Amino acid sequence: MILAFDTSGPSVSAALLSQDETLLAALYEDMAKGQAERLMPMVAEVMHEAGADMQDLTRIAVGIGPGNFTGIRIAVSAARGMALALGIPATGVSLLDALTHGTSGPVIATLPAPRGLIYAQGYGGAAPAAPILTDPATLTLGAATVIGPPAEMLLTLAKGGAEAGAKAAPAAFAPASAIARVAHARTPNPAERPSPLYLRPADAAPARNAPPVITG
Amino acid sequence: MTLTLLGIESSCDDTAAAVVRWSEQDGAQILSNHVAGQEALHADFGGVVPEIAARAHTEKLDHMVEAALQGAGLRLKDCDAIAVTSGPGLIGGVLAGVMCAKGLSLASGLPLVGVNHLAGHALTPRLTDGLPFPYLMLLVSGGHCQFLIVHAADRFERLGGTIDDAPGEAFDKIARILGLPQPGGPSVERAALEGDPKAFALPRPLLDRPGCDMSFSGLKTALLRARDGALAADGSLARADQCNLSASFQAAITDVLAAKTKRALAAYAALAPAVPTLAVAGGVAANQTIRAALAAQAESAGVRFTAPPLALCTDNAAMIAWAGLERFRLGESDDLTLSARPRWPLDTAAAPMLGSGKKGAKA
Repeated sequence: MILAFDTSGPSVSAALLSQDETLLAALYEDMAKGQAERLMPMVAEVMHEAGADMQDLTRIAVGIGPGNFTGIRIAVSAARGMALALGIPATGVSLLDALTHGTSGPVIATLPAPRGLIYAQGYGGAAPAAPILTDPATLTLGAATVIGPPAEMLLTLAKGGAEAGAKAAPAAFAPASAIARVAHARTPNPAERPSPLYLRPADAAPARNAPPVITG
Repeated sequence: MTLTLLGIESSCDDTAAAVVRWSEQDGAQILSNHVAGQEALHADFGGVVPEIAARAHTEKLDHMVEAALQGAGLRLKDCDAIAVTSGPGLIGGVLAGVMCAKGLSLASGLPLVGVNHLAGHALTPRLTDGLPFPYLMLLVSGGHCQFLIVHAADRFERLGGTIDDAPGEAFDKIARILGLPQPGGPSVERAALEGDPKAFALPRPLLDRPGCDMSFSGLKTALLRARDGALAADGSLARADQCNLSASFQAAITDVLAAKTKRALAAYAALAPAVPTLAVAGGVAANQTIRAALAAQAESAGVRFTAPPLALCTDNAAMIAWAGLERFRLGESDDLTLSARPRWPLDTAAAPMLGSGKKGAKA
């Protein structure tokens, strides 16, 4: 039984997936603030709704972003704590992978980023092959299906560039449910510790005013 | 009765986990105490960068918990509860610790106990020396500086504290200004050994005012001016001036802390405590000149002086496990909605000293 949860965007979600890939229970709430307070009670509710015990879990799956740095850390820290306590593996799943789970053909997964930028990754032959943080205007859609909240905005931009063939599509699964399914398709790695996918270094400027040279 | 608590700390730049046990027969015992610092990560930035700290805590916390349990020779289920720093501190790090603890708590069914980081420092003398209440506490570290009368594990009376910077922070900034390595406390102290504390006239802020409040921000600026006055034409600083400036700065901090300690001791004496004791904690308490001046104040007031060993003076998780144990013993714990708090004064009755904005007082 895989328990999955995510707080990397302005929401909290949790899902429980059986070994035969049946969704046993799932909850989703839009939430910009208070995810740290809501996440664990929501996990307990999902477990309760499915009539499952902690001992039934074989794996934890967690959304690692890209997204809100603090939000990512909320879920990743909790997942690592749960995995340690239960002695089961934890699998980190990119939200871009989750968005495109169950799709075929060229697909571009997109998520909003601060300062008008977006996170993007292409699948099924679409570019970019690796996840990036980018200005939406630099993205070439080609004939790909675009998934994710910025999809409509990207298509509007692309029309100006006379790109044909691209279309928008909704994600096939809610975040936690998709994360559980992506994890299910991967071989569990007991040594893995889920790690946030930031795609942007920490904002920090080296100290100004160099110290004096010491003489004598 | 025997209680065993896991403690987790991540409120600044140390990721720590520890296991502490207490029994009526044997008292308190630290079974393990693991701390991983982040100095190297922040070295280029002249201070702790919150986002860098939060990222490092997230990667390190579960490893530290594993190490602490292994060091104690216990499994998680052998513990009675999980204590975690839930504030005050850098919120990203506090959140990572709180969420790790919540994950451990939900998965194991063990109770969760949120701990005020300052209570951890303030209750450490009970972990190390079994001090009875009430005792006078000077908490003096990189982030905090306050006088507290510790009446009970959940009752702290603040007599006063810094209205701006903490001394530890001032030591770090001064070290940088003087071209000394970080962390600033030990390097300024070393340089001061070769310097003349009277070489530069520096202010003793707020000594002319009643009460136990302190200020160190102006002292820092005064030192910068004094240094600029001592710089050679090519912008270099003579080693002798580096030492003299260090000694003069340390003397000013020492004088302020000693004079305010004298006042705090007088207020504390009015309680007529059974075992009058002054305890100090925080990294700055490791400074031998400061420590000697505080001990001298205690001696002349006829009060016992105690300072925990350095490893328990600076940030650690044994103090969090212990403070959690004291709370848990009183029948207190938290549920999974426990919040991480960037600001959380120990004495909620006292007027706020710092940051009285909409987010509330820092300390």
